[in-house]
Amino acid sequence: MRHFLFCLVPLIAASLASAQDEHADSVLAKYNGLRPTERQLAMYRLDWVDSLNDAQQKAAREGRPIVLIIIHAKYGDIRSGHC
Amino acid sequence: MINPEVIKQLEPFIVTSWHGHRNDSEIPAPVRIVWREKFAPQQQGRGPQRNQQSNVDLAVLNSKGQVVHWFDGMRHGPTREPLAQYTARELQRAARFLKVDDWPPRNRPVELPELDRSRGIRVFVSLQDNRMTAYQAPVVEVVPLAEQDWKLLDYPVKNRTVDASNLKTWLSEVYPPGVMERTDPRTKMAYKIDKIEGKLGLAAAGSNKDQRYAVLSGSVRFTDEGGDDFSYGGKLEVVLSYELDSVKVKTLRGVFEGIYPRVDRKQNRTRRLPLQAVFESL
Repeated sequence: MRHFLFCLVPLIAASLASAQDEHADSVLAKYNGLRPTERQLAMYRLDWVDSLNDAQQKAAREGRPIVLIIIHAKYGDIRSGHC
Repeated sequence: MINPEVIKQLEPFIVTSWHGHRNDSEIPAPVRIVWREKFAPQQQGRGPQRNQQSNVDLAVLNSKGQVVHWFDGMRHGPTREPLAQYTARELQRAARFLKVDDWPPRNRPVELPELDRSRGIRVFVSLQDNRMTAYQAPVVEVVPLAEQDWKLLDYPVKNRTVDASNLKTWLSEVYPPGVMERTDPRTKMAYKIDKIEGKLGLAAAGSNKDQRYAVLSGSVRFTDEGGDDFSYGGKLEVVLSYELDSVKVKTLRGVFEGIYPRVDRKQNRTRRLPLQAVFESL
C-alpha cells in the first residue's frame, strides 16, 4: 500500500503541473481565437487624424479631402469604438 | 465601419471625428454648416424628417476644408438598403465631386493604437449583439500602466490572490460600444465603471527553456456609477510570461468572457448578450 502511494504522489504532482500548463494553453488558445482579425480591424487601415484642425492642416498640405464623422453627443470616440 | 465596401470608399480620405451638442460654445464651421441644414425646417432644409434623424452625420470636405457633401449616418425614407451600402453609395457620390477616383489606392496596413512612451495594455472589446452588428466591431483602447500596476502581477513564487479592484486601470475599459442607455441624463456623459469586484487567483503555470508562466483567473463583476446597481460580470483569464530569473511581467495575454444585460428600450426588456474582451501587453 505504501509503495502504491509513493507511486501515486509523482503521478498526482505531474498531473497538477500539467493541468496548470493546460490552463495556460487553453487561455492562449482563447486569446488567439477571440483576438479580432485584420478584416475586423480594417478601419485601422484608414488615415485617422486626431482632430478636425489637424485633419484640415494635413488636407491642405497633401491636397486631399476629409471625411468628418460628426457625433451629436457629449461623449464618444469613434476611433476607439467607445461611442 | 468594418464593412469592406465602406472601408474601400474611405481609404482615399483623411478621416477624423468630432462630438458635441448644438448648444456648445465652440462648434467647428463644417459642423455648423451641416447642422444648419440638418435641423432647418423640412421645407427649407435637405435633412431627413426629424423623427428619422440619427445622432451621427458624415461630412465630406475638400482639401480647403469646405463641405462638399454630407449625409445622415442613418438612411431614411422607405428603403431597405443595407446601411453599409447606403454609406458606401453616399461616399462614392462625394468622391465623384472630388475626383477621388483619380488617386492611387493607398493599401495602408492595419495600424492599431499604440502607446508612445510607456508600457501598457491594449484592450479589444466586442458585444455579440446580433441585432446591432455594428456593436460587434471591436473597440480598441490602449491603457498605459504604471510600475505599481505591473508589480501586482509579479511572478507568484507562491500562489496568491489578486483583488480585481486593483486592476481597475485596464479592466475599466471592459464595457460595450454604444452604451447610450447608460448615460447620465444630466451631463449626457456615459457612466464610467465605478466598482470592480472579484478575487483572482494568480498561479504558476509551467516554464520552458526561455521563460516561465503564470495564470491569473477568476470571476469579475463591474458596477457603473449610475447608482441603480446596474452590473455585469464574467470570467477573466490571463497568461503572464516572465524571464526565468525575473519576477517582472514580460508579456500579458488574456480574455474576458461575460454577459452584459442590454436594455432594449423599444421592447422594454433586457437581453443578456455575450461581452468579450481581449487583452495584450504593449
